[in-house]
Amino acid sequence: MSAPAVARPRTAPVNRAVPVNPRAVMVSGALLVLTLALAVLTITIGELGIAVADLPAVLAHQGSRAQEWVLYSNRLPRLLVAVGAGAAFAVPGAIFQSVTRNPLGSPDVIGLGAGSAAGAAAAALVWPGVVPVPIGALVGGVVAAAAVLLGSGRGLRAPYRMVVVGIAVGAMAMAFVQFVLARTTQQEAVQLAAWLSGSLQSRQWGDVVTIGVALAVLLPAALALTRRLQIVEMGDDAATGLGVSPGWTRGLAIMVGVALTAAAVSVAGPVAFVALTAPQIARRLTGSSGPGMVAAACMGTTVLVAADLFAQHAPWGAQYPVGVLTAGLGGVYLAYLLVGEWKKGTV
Amino acid sequence: MVRGSRSRAWLLGAGLLVSAGLLVLAAGLSVAVGAKSVPLGEVWSAWLHPDDSYTSAIVTSRLARTELGLLAGAALAVAGAVIQGLTRNPLGDPGILGVNAGASASVVLVTATLGAGAGRSVWAAVPGALFAAVAVYVIASGGPRGRATPVRLVLAGVAISAALAALVQAIALAQPEVFNSYRFWVVGSLAGRPDDTVDRVLPFVVVGLVLALLLPRGLNALALGDETATALGLRAGRTRAVGAASATLLAAAAVAAVGPVGFVGLAVPHVVRSFTGSDHRWLLPYCALLGPVLLLGSDVLGRVVARPGELMVGVVTAFVGAPFLIAAVRQGRAGL
Repeated sequence: MSAPAVARPRTAPVNRAVPVNPRAVMVSGALLVLTLALAVLTITIGELGIAVADLPAVLAHQGSRAQEWVLYSNRLPRLLVAVGAGAAFAVPGAIFQSVTRNPLGSPDVIGLGAGSAAGAAAAALVWPGVVPVPIGALVGGVVAAAAVLLGSGRGLRAPYRMVVVGIAVGAMAMAFVQFVLARTTQQEAVQLAAWLSGSLQSRQWGDVVTIGVALAVLLPAALALTRRLQIVEMGDDAATGLGVSPGWTRGLAIMVGVALTAAAVSVAGPVAFVALTAPQIARRLTGSSGPGMVAAACMGTTVLVAADLFAQHAPWGAQYPVGVLTAGLGGVYLAYLLVGEWKKGTV
Repeated sequence: MVRGSRSRAWLLGAGLLVSAGLLVLAAGLSVAVGAKSVPLGEVWSAWLHPDDSYTSAIVTSRLARTELGLLAGAALAVAGAVIQGLTRNPLGDPGILGVNAGASASVVLVTATLGAGAGRSVWAAVPGALFAAVAVYVIASGGPRGRATPVRLVLAGVAISAALAALVQAIALAQPEVFNSYRFWVVGSLAGRPDDTVDRVLPFVVVGLVLALLLPRGLNALALGDETATALGLRAGRTRAVGAASATLLAAAAVAAVGPVGFVGLAVPHVVRSFTGSDHRWLLPYCALLGPVLLLGSDVLGRVVARPGELMVGVVTAFVGAPFLIAAVRQGRAGL
């Protein structure tokens, strides 16, 4: 592999005969191993941690009752939600960055995460029991996506316009969430406030099922679209010439992306900047020119599991919602990314 | 032509009077509307002749909140107009460009390290506001062709805001006993501020507004581009320095008073410009009058829609003001 470590220009021709990039496979494998190590750490360290030596016994349901409780009611659901949500945040990031041909066009920057959060909050607190929370999140995400696309007036052709409109839509969505919070009783509001900054605290098996089902349905769809998205990135004329309809490809990809974001938000809250950063880092590591869904998904999982591990055992004592951590680091990364974009002179 | 511009001046002058009338109305409503409503007539008499009655007590307590809204609204709107003029950027707003986030981060940092007393001073907000403004400008003008375009400024503002807001949350969560009272301030609220807030903030707002009064001609010249402005005899550097000082002081004072309220600085100049045009001699006074109208109006709205509770004013201004960001983008002057 002679590809440089930095991302190649997007316009680099795709001339591989095999659609599988060996370096992407290596990177994904390495990330999976890293995630596994982080997962073992997540389960084993801390006051209630299960010693590594005991882990096989507990997994085989032969541990003490306390150990079983820690694993099956506490740490395992949280870990699995982090694994699933990480992938479900990162893949839409890769999709939207590919569709807008811009690293900033990711769902958390253009307000989709906030829109899903508003929908989820409405489903949970304004009309409790009428709509399941994930469906509410989906409706909110669709409304936000439509508002961004229509509000910009030029749709996907003007990604920077979309980004600024998305900031406005995101601000309004978060204002709506605050409105919902102000109208609810104290107890519910406190719970929702933690979820609002993106938190994996006290996740249940129901959340694992939600994110698992969403991934089982939507991840294959995203993978099936990868090759087409890669071709569409080369330009509409080239794509049409190769027999790929750019409009359909983008439309389907956006639907998959919105649905995955909604699923992730409904189980983990609007965790900031995983969607922005994970696909970008994955792209730099694999040196690939396409959207690279698998590598992005693995990177998202690694990032979220690592961030949640750190948030749980941060040296300064208090347990933070993981979203606070990703927002802080993601903001710095965004600034770094911006300076890089300016240097390329894209805006 | 001369006659036309003279009658236009009369019209705009009369408009200023109308705006002042709106301001009085908004202030009256802000005192009258709430969990216990007071008729506007009684507001007036209770203000002029305070006595021991229940109504009078309500009016007095709401007056403090209204004064805070007047100061913060004027400060935010004028700061927005100055930032828009200095950066030639229709998307300028102390909230969007990260200045508010910087100010609140430094208030929280000072409170956490030096105690709540030090944190209530406006001086606690100034260094953060300045830091964020400089950081956003440096990031936005990074790169070889180094020009801080509107979209670059907005994106740099998003990045800086996200990082600083996370810092604020992290500190607030680590010291819950200190920051319980900051829960509403963090979103932006006129309610529940200490009694002496107005006295603390007033000098900063006055200095900021006086500095802004020196700016209109300079900003008008800057709008023509640096070279033309220099040819017209303007010292562009001095205008920038005075403008930056004014905007920073105003934004810091507003944040110290009511928390990081966004979009007032965007929406008000945007509306005002639609009838005054881009002449800052009219733009700035109108912003000073109509900024409080928007802020107090939003505050009243927040008390009405969430009865019997109330909605923090920062939430209402985000909802009311964000559409102006979309409108500003669609007008195309942002170069998008």
